[in-house]
Amino acid sequence: MLKTRLFILLMMLLSCMQVSATNLKIFKGDDQVPALQLQDLQGKVHNLNDYKGQVVLLQFWATYCPPCRKEMPSMNNLQKKMADVPFKILAVDMGESRAEVDEFISQVKPEFTILMDPEGESIAAWKVYAAPSNFIIDTQGKIRYTLYGGVEWDSPEMVKQLKALVVTQ
Amino acid sequence: MCKRNFSFNSVCLGFFLVSACFVVNAREVTAFDVTNVSIDVRIFKATGNRLLLGFACDEGRSHAEEQTAAALAAGGVEVWMPDMLSAYMLPNLPSSRHEIPTDALLGLIEKALATGKEVYLIASGKDTELVLRVASVWEDSHEKPLSGAILLFPRLFKAEPVPGVIPEYVDVVGKTKLPLILLEGERTPNRWGVKSLSSQLEIGGSQVVSQLIPSVRGYFFKRPDANRSEEMATAKLPDLIMESLLKLEHMHVKN
Repeated sequence: MLKTRLFILLMMLLSCMQVSATNLKIFKGDDQVPALQLQDLQGKVHNLNDYKGQVVLLQFWATYCPPCRKEMPSMNNLQKKMADVPFKILAVDMGESRAEVDEFISQVKPEFTILMDPEGESIAAWKVYAAPSNFIIDTQGKIRYTLYGGVEWDSPEMVKQLKALVVTQ
Repeated sequence: MCKRNFSFNSVCLGFFLVSACFVVNAREVTAFDVTNVSIDVRIFKATGNRLLLGFACDEGRSHAEEQTAAALAAGGVEVWMPDMLSAYMLPNLPSSRHEIPTDALLGLIEKALATGKEVYLIASGKDTELVLRVASVWEDSHEKPLSGAILLFPRLFKAEPVPGVIPEYVDVVGKTKLPLILLEGERTPNRWGVKSLSSQLEIGGSQVVSQLIPSVRGYFFKRPDANRSEEMATAKLPDLIMESLLKLEHMHVKN
């Protein structure tokens, strides 16, 4: 009896834990996922709906954000480590000029899709108030996790947690 | 949110800029006895009818703020900069703001109003919480209204913002009806929260006017790595504050 109670208590504690080893937090916001349709640096329009069936890391970032600069190499590595599963990184610049972004890219060299949002429309729709702000969207198009702040995206724990989203669909 | 055009402002600003060319550092330190504690206040005297009271918790170390105060004083705005941290022997930590007694802030406002000038409040970053706290208590306990407050890049989140969720603000947000000018750097993610914060501040009855400062990050005048744009903005900070005071004069305290 005591063992059963302890087991139930342990399960309850685990289910209450929001923060994993990766710092990803279970998203508890609105089920309604905002629209996202923005141009990349080559002028190609990307619509988030077109990425259903893939796990998407949607990041809001800015060139003046030191953690954004620091973590982008690990995002390049993450993309390589996730190459065997349907996975996409969409990184939305937060309302800066093309010149500012180009200078940043020449230094940091991100190898994933950069989207421009000069008017900040998606930033408001996605309720982003800090950078970097990250959303992990599953293959069904639902937001599963969020993460604020810099992180090592290519850590084994992170790769495992993101790949689990593909497997469990 | 209210946005107005102040045609008279540019004329006043012109006079201010001319007078600011003859800046002299009229700084003096006066010790006020407030609630049985001696609080050192750096005072930049001026003959005009406006007094700007800044709750600068910097232990008297900010040169940019002193230069700004001296320029404002040359333009006719008296500036008081109390050192609240040293008075209460507090370290310069965010948590120390909660240890500063409201009665002490109220006492300093009473001293400032005793000069017969119109009193405005100013603070930056997390210190803006102090301004909102004392303004709220002041309104509940005093008849004479304050004239307004300037919030420089306010940092008023209750906790770390969660992506996709409207942020919660500290409890004092939305508790005052004091007219507010909210200034935010253009190169900070917080600029995207200006609308949300303004809406929350307006709940208390405040008229809020917000303005983005182009090409600067938050705390631009305190940054050791300030770039050219931020150095220029720091040099223009007295003009920006003067313009904000002129705007506040045209805003109304709600009864």
